[in-house]
Amino acid sequence: MVNTDTIAAIATAHGRGGIGVVRISGEDLRDFSLNILGRIPAPRVAALTNFLAVDGEVIDQGIALYFPAPHSYTGQDVLELQGHGGDAVMHRLLARCLELAARPAEPGEFTQRAFLNDKMDLAQAESVADLIDAATIEAAKTAMRSLRGEFSRTIHQLVDALTSLRMLVEATLDFPEEEIDFLEESNALNQLAAIDSQLDKVFRQANQGSLLREGLHIVLIGQPNVGKSSLLNQLAGEEVAIVTPVAGTTRDAIRQHIEIEGVALHFIDTAGLRDTDDEVEEIGIARTWSAIQQANVALLLIDAAQGIVPADLEIIAKLPAGLPLLRVFNKVDLLGEEPRVDASGGVADIYLSAKTGAGIELLHEHLLRVVGWQTGGEGVFMARERHLSALRVAKERLSLAAACKGRVEFFAEELRLAQNALSSITGEFTSDDLLGEIFSRFCIGK
Amino acid sequence: MLYPSQFDVIVIGGGHAGTEAALASARIGLKTLLLTHNIETLGQMSCNPSIGGIGKGHLVKEVDALGGAMAAATDEAGIQFRILNSSKGPAVRATRAQADRVLYRQAIRGRLENQPNLWLFQQAVDDLILERDRVVGVVTQLGLRFQAKAVVLTAGTFLAGLVHVGQSNYQAGRAGDPPSITLAQRLREIQLPVKRFKTGTPPRIDGRSLDYSVMVEQPGDDPAPAFSFLGSSAQHPRQLPCWITQTNLHTHDIIRGGLDRSPLYTGVIEGVGPRYCPSIEDKIMRFSGKDSHQIFVEPEGLNTHEIYPNGISTSLPFDVQVELVRSIQGFENAHITRPGYAIEYDFFDPLGLKHSLETKGIQGLFFAGQINGTTGYEEAAAQGILAGINAGLLAQGKEAWYPSRDQAYLGVMVDDLITRGVVEPYRMFTSRAEYRLMLREDNADLRLTEAGRMLGVVDDVRWQNFVEKREAIAREQERLKSVWVNPKLLPQDDAERVLGKGIEREYSLLDLLRRPDVSYRDLLTLPGAGVGVEDSKVAEQVEIQAKYQGYIARQQEEVARHQHYEAMVLPLSLDYREVHGLSIEVQQKLNQHKPETLGQAGRISGVTPAAISVLLVYLKRGQSISDDKKSA
Repeated sequence: MVNTDTIAAIATAHGRGGIGVVRISGEDLRDFSLNILGRIPAPRVAALTNFLAVDGEVIDQGIALYFPAPHSYTGQDVLELQGHGGDAVMHRLLARCLELAARPAEPGEFTQRAFLNDKMDLAQAESVADLIDAATIEAAKTAMRSLRGEFSRTIHQLVDALTSLRMLVEATLDFPEEEIDFLEESNALNQLAAIDSQLDKVFRQANQGSLLREGLHIVLIGQPNVGKSSLLNQLAGEEVAIVTPVAGTTRDAIRQHIEIEGVALHFIDTAGLRDTDDEVEEIGIARTWSAIQQANVALLLIDAAQGIVPADLEIIAKLPAGLPLLRVFNKVDLLGEEPRVDASGGVADIYLSAKTGAGIELLHEHLLRVVGWQTGGEGVFMARERHLSALRVAKERLSLAAACKGRVEFFAEELRLAQNALSSITGEFTSDDLLGEIFSRFCIGK
Repeated sequence: MLYPSQFDVIVIGGGHAGTEAALASARIGLKTLLLTHNIETLGQMSCNPSIGGIGKGHLVKEVDALGGAMAAATDEAGIQFRILNSSKGPAVRATRAQADRVLYRQAIRGRLENQPNLWLFQQAVDDLILERDRVVGVVTQLGLRFQAKAVVLTAGTFLAGLVHVGQSNYQAGRAGDPPSITLAQRLREIQLPVKRFKTGTPPRIDGRSLDYSVMVEQPGDDPAPAFSFLGSSAQHPRQLPCWITQTNLHTHDIIRGGLDRSPLYTGVIEGVGPRYCPSIEDKIMRFSGKDSHQIFVEPEGLNTHEIYPNGISTSLPFDVQVELVRSIQGFENAHITRPGYAIEYDFFDPLGLKHSLETKGIQGLFFAGQINGTTGYEEAAAQGILAGINAGLLAQGKEAWYPSRDQAYLGVMVDDLITRGVVEPYRMFTSRAEYRLMLREDNADLRLTEAGRMLGVVDDVRWQNFVEKREAIAREQERLKSVWVNPKLLPQDDAERVLGKGIEREYSLLDLLRRPDVSYRDLLTLPGAGVGVEDSKVAEQVEIQAKYQGYIARQQEEVARHQHYEAMVLPLSLDYREVHGLSIEVQQKLNQHKPETLGQAGRISGVTPAAISVLLVYLKRGQSISDDKKSA
C-alpha cells in the first residue's frame, strides 16, 4: 500500500442495483479521465458521459464526478463513475481502470488516504487503525480461504517453477566462475514456456472461481411465444419474469437470477433489442448490448415445431465472437417427443418442455458444462480481482522475459518482477531465499 | 597515561575496513588516529590474494568513487585483471584482480603514511572509555588513554579468535597474529549482542613443487582493465596467469577418511560458516554426487613462489591436508608452506547498528567490516569508508550520510545488515540488489562521486576529472538527440550494415542507439552522424544509458513508489507495544529491530503491509498531536 499510486474499487454493494459506483483515487487523474471519459470533467459537476473501453467502445453510460485534489474524500484527485448497477458492467469498468494502471484498492484504503491527507480529524482517525486492522484480517482470511486446496497447490507449483528458473538465472549471473553454465544446461526458454502454460491453467481455474462468485451471464434469445418466460419460471421454480404483451415494454435487460449448484445464473433478455427512436429505450438497448459483451454463454430458445427463424440468426450474428451458443428446442411435449440431448451435430442441442419441466435438468447440466464448469468444484479458485491482477502482471512479465533472448540481465529483471507480482499473493520472497536455493542445489564457492 | 593531544576520530584496526575508515576521516580534514597492533600488516590480505569479483567489484568501484584507496592500490598491485561476465551485459559485469600481497600492502601503507591529518600508532586496544552511553576514547595494552569524539572499531576476526587445525586449536587473530581477547571481553561486558562465525583458508603451497603442465592456464584479459576511475593499465606491474586443476574421487576418499578428526564434523567448531565459500570437506559431504571440484591456483605475488589453491579451504588435521593436496592433479609433489585452518571469531549482531554504522547502544562508536558479520575485503572496505565518513560527520556535529538501496551496493549491504541481520557471513551478490540494472560498475562514479565531494572525501583531481566526464556524456547525449536520420537520405546498404534493415520514418541518433543491436561506434559511421566522443568511458556511458533507458525508468518508478516510506522516520524510542493494531509478533519484531524509517520496517521479515499501514496511521497521529501542541 503506497500512498502515491492510483487505486480503484467498486464502491457499491455487490449484486444487482440501480446504480453502481467505481471510485478511483490518485495523485493526478487527468490523463486517466481523458482515457476513460474522453475528457476531463468539470470539477464537482455531475455530467452524463460515456465510459470508454480502450478501443473507444462504450462500456456504459452514466454520471462522472471529478473531485480534484485537495477537495475530495481522500485529499487526492478522486473520480467517481456512476454506472448502471450489476456485476458485469461494474467489473468491466473496474477492469478498464486496472488497464489504465490503477491498482485494486486494499480494504479501507480510501479512508486511510483520507486520514493521511488530513481529510479527517483526530477523533475520526482514532478508529482508522482498527478499521484497517479489521479489514486486513478479513482480507487475509479471504486470501487464505482462496489459497486452499487445488488452487493453492497450482500456484505454489507455479512459484516453485519460477523460483527454480530464477535460481538458475541468478546463479549464472553471480557465479560465472563455476564449472557449469546453469542456464545453458537447463534450457531456460522451455522452463519459461512451461511456467507460462501453468499460468494459463491458473487463469482457467481462476475463471471458475470468478464464475462461482460472479455467476454465469446468459444471453437469452428467442422469438415471442417461444416460451422464454416459462423456461425462466421453470428454472427458477417460481413466477419471476413478468412479460407484458406490448412490444418494447422491456426497456431494461430483464435479468433473472437463478441458482444452480451454487452458481448464480443471470439471464439477459434480448427481447427488447430492436430499432427504436425512443431515447430512453435506446439507452436501455445500449445497456443490454453492454451486458451482452460480458456474457458467458448465449441460449437460443426455439420452438421445436418451427425451428430457427431469420430473426434469431440476426441477433446471433451480432453476438461477440467466440461466445458459446446453446440451442434449446422447446415444446417437445406438443410433438409427443421425449426430452433428450442430441450431440450428433457436434454441438449438444437440448430438447425439452418448459411447460412440463421435462428435460430441465439437462439444461442445468449443459449450461454449466458449456462454460467449462466442473461439477464438484474441484480445482476452483475464488479469484479476487487483485489476485487476477497479480497473475496478469506475472503473465505479462513472463512474455517480456521470453522476448529478452540472450540479454540475460533483462531476462532476470522480468523474472524478478513476475515473482514480485506472485509474491503479492503468496507472501514475500527475498533475495536471501533465492541465494539459499542456489547454495542448496549447487556446490558454489572456491 | 593520558595521551597529550585529542583526536576527532580514532580507528581501531588496520585491515581493509580500518584503513578506508581512517583515510576517509582524514580526507575530510579531521584529526584521525589509526591504532593497530602491527604497523607492518596494515593493508594485509589475510585470505585469498584477489580483489573484486561479482558484486564485490561493484563495491570496490563505489569505494573508489568516494575517493577510497582499494581500487587504486589494486591498480598498483594487481598481477592479473579480468572482467567477469563480460558477455552478459553491463549490470553484472565485474572487475576482478589477483594482487601481489606485498605490493598491495605497500600501496596501502604509502597512502596511510602520506595522508595529511592521519596519525599511526602501534598498540593493541584493550578497552573503550565510556561516559554513560557515549564513547570518548580508548585504552591500549600499555594503559595509554587516547581521547576522541568518535571511535571506529574494525577488529576483523581478531575478537576472541580461535584457530583450528584438526583437533588442535589456539587463540589467534589470524594465523600468525595475536587475538584481541581483552577487548572482546570488554565488549561482551557492555552487552552488545555478540555471536560467533567461522571462516577458513586453504593450505599454501610452494609453487616450485607443482606441475603446471597438467593444469589449464587462465590468463588475464588483454588489454587489462584498470580498477580505479583514475587508474590506467600502465600502472600495473608485470602480469601473471592463474591455473585451474581439480580434485578427484581419490581426494574425496582421503577427506572422508579424515572426518573423524575434523573439528567441523566432530562438533568442535560451533560458529556458522559461509555457504558460498565452503571448506572442501563440506563440499564433499554436501554434494557427494560430484566427482570433482575445481581448484584455482593463484599466485601470491611476483617475488614469491607461494601459491594460493583457491577451493580447498580446510581445517582437517595436517597429515590429511598433505595427503589430500598430493592427490590433486599437478600437486603430486606439493610442498605445503602453511597449513590450512578454520577460525572462529566474535561478531556483533548488525541489527544493533544504524545506517551510519554507529551502534544504537553506544553513541559515537562505529563498527565496520567482519565485526558486523560480513566476509570479504571489499565488503569490509566499503563499510570502512562509510563508518569513517560518519564518524567524521559525528565529530563535526553533522547529520549522518548513507547511500540508499537504489544508489549503491554499499546501501544495499548496510540496509540488509541492519534490517535483516545475518545468519551466515554476509557476502555481496548482485542478486541482493533489486535495482541491479541501475547499480553498475561503470556508473559508480556517477552514482556517488558528487555525494563524496559534498562530504569532503573526494579531492580536486578526482572531482575535476569526474565533472569533465559527466559534462562530456551530457553533451554527447544532447548531440545524438538533435541529429536526425532521414529514411530518404539513408543509403540502403548503410542502413542494413548498421541497423540491420531500413527505417520507415525519421529517427534521432539517440533513438537508434536504443536498439539492442546497434552499437555506438557503428552508429557514428552513418552518413551525417557527425563526430562522436573519443573517450571510451564517455562513449560507454552514452551507449549503456541509451540501451537501459526503458528498464531504468521503470526501476526509478519503483524507487519513487518506495521513497515515500524511506523518508518517514521512526523514533528509536518508540515502544511498539503501544502501537494499537499491530500483532504481538510484529510488535516484538519491531522492538527487536528498532528500524529507523518506515521503509526499513517494511523490509523486516514478518512485517506486513498491513502493519506498515497501522504504523503510518500511528506516526501521522503523533504528528498531528505535536502540531496541535505547537499551535496551542
